[in-house]
Amino acid sequence: MRWGMVIDLTKCVRCYACVAACRVEHFLPMGVTWPRLVALETDHGSPEVSTYSVRCNQCQDAPCVEACPTGATRQREDGIIVVDQDKCVGCRYCVIACPYQNRTFLSKDKDKGFFPGRIQTDFEKAGKELYKHQLGTTEKCNFCAERIDAGMAKGLKPGVDREATPACVNTCPARALNFGDLDDPESEVSKLIKTRKGFQLHPEYSTDPSVFFIDGRIGQIDETAATEESRREAVPAGTES
Amino acid sequence: MQQAHEWMVNYTRQTEWIDRRGIFLWIAFYAGGLGGGLYLVSLLFNSLWGMFVSWLIIAVVKGGTHLMYLGKPWRAWRIITRPQTSWLARGFLFVMAFVFLGAIQMMLTHWLPGSAAEWVFKVLAGLTAFGVATYTGIILKNVKGVPFWNSLLLPVLFVICGILGGFGLAVVIALNGGGINLAAAETGSRWLLIANALLIVIYLWRASRREAVGKQSVLQQISGESAPVFWIGVVLLGIVIPLAIAASGLITHVPSSLLLTAVTCEIAGGLALRYCVLKAGAYNPLVARSC
Repeated sequence: MRWGMVIDLTKCVRCYACVAACRVEHFLPMGVTWPRLVALETDHGSPEVSTYSVRCNQCQDAPCVEACPTGATRQREDGIIVVDQDKCVGCRYCVIACPYQNRTFLSKDKDKGFFPGRIQTDFEKAGKELYKHQLGTTEKCNFCAERIDAGMAKGLKPGVDREATPACVNTCPARALNFGDLDDPESEVSKLIKTRKGFQLHPEYSTDPSVFFIDGRIGQIDETAATEESRREAVPAGTES
Repeated sequence: MQQAHEWMVNYTRQTEWIDRRGIFLWIAFYAGGLGGGLYLVSLLFNSLWGMFVSWLIIAVVKGGTHLMYLGKPWRAWRIITRPQTSWLARGFLFVMAFVFLGAIQMMLTHWLPGSAAEWVFKVLAGLTAFGVATYTGIILKNVKGVPFWNSLLLPVLFVICGILGGFGLAVVIALNGGGINLAAAETGSRWLLIANALLIVIYLWRASRREAVGKQSVLQQISGESAPVFWIGVVLLGIVIPLAIAASGLITHVPSSLLLTAVTCEIAGGLALRYCVLKAGAYNPLVARSC
């Protein structure tokens, strides 16, 4: 079993619902965002702006697991990478090692409160009790592992039953996010990857991410071109050529 | 200022290991190289004073600043639990082993000089000192997402820079009668200054050819935000002034004050080099721009 996510960018309406759902689910401080929406200019014939919903890729060969000197970051049997904040020493090696930059070090400036110096909301108070975020440690998306575990304990199927499915997937109004078992060829995510040629970000790092994308272009062209396209040299907009 | 939605799409440099409290890590990284380098140089000259200073640099400065950098320093003992995969864990083990072995070696050198045990501990402490000087470069080299760091030359550069600083401090110890041959220390400094300068040029040249982000990192160093630190710190203080003083030593007697100036510049240059390398480390963007 290997939990994975397929993000259909052709369906994404850029509503930030996944970001908000995650904040609510995990009581995230204002300075911390596990899933993010990033925008970039593309030029397929005519200039346009494309967005990517990104989060921890739960890599199978995760550089963060290798880098962690304490064992706080570990990979579960179902492929999800989790951080034990009671073991994290706050060295930030995992933050540096993650080539996708999907980890956050929780410092004081990222946890000033929703209304700094004014009030602590009831939501924040509840969060302090229900989902403790330790200052001085690292955190990241965990595919809502607690929901998966609780759901599976009840015999529910992640990706099919809402109670066992990550909050961002549940809340997506456009059904752009899909969740399921990548090891099951009959799962929805496996079929999507196969039929619509889902691709991973930066396959050249050999990290084997569990998050796949369908962008309506890379996945739609012929396979040779798709490989070349996904491996093309990155040219960031901010660089000078 | 990068907008939230532009994160990792544009040139995005790492900040955790240089900005804010990252300054402590920068000092720790340099102190590790300097302390390890000085210990190796002290072994060469069999200088107990040099060994003691290097031990203090690693145990107090390197260890202390690294602990101050951690988010949860009282959990530092956990760092040694994963040496099978983590170079940071290996580095901490090198530091602790050096502190332990180096202390025993110095006691043996003081009370039982020339004994077999002294030699054994010199070799063991020397190996761990080399590990302390090397591991920070390997940590950076292994970061997949930062092309600027992805080079075997980086650990080599860090070690050479550390040994160069070690020779510099050896000159200071020699001037204070610490059992080091001043002329030999000066000669070592000269050669390493040249090697260090060449390595920096080769490193930057090769980095500029490693993807667009690697080139951007080099541009950031030589003409961007880090340019003053690079040109004044790395080039002027770290290379030009010490080389000029070293060259003048070939033709005329150099006064102690000038030698001390050269050593101070060398160490400032080493610090500046580490700063520039850490500051210019930038990630490949998450998504490639369509061409």
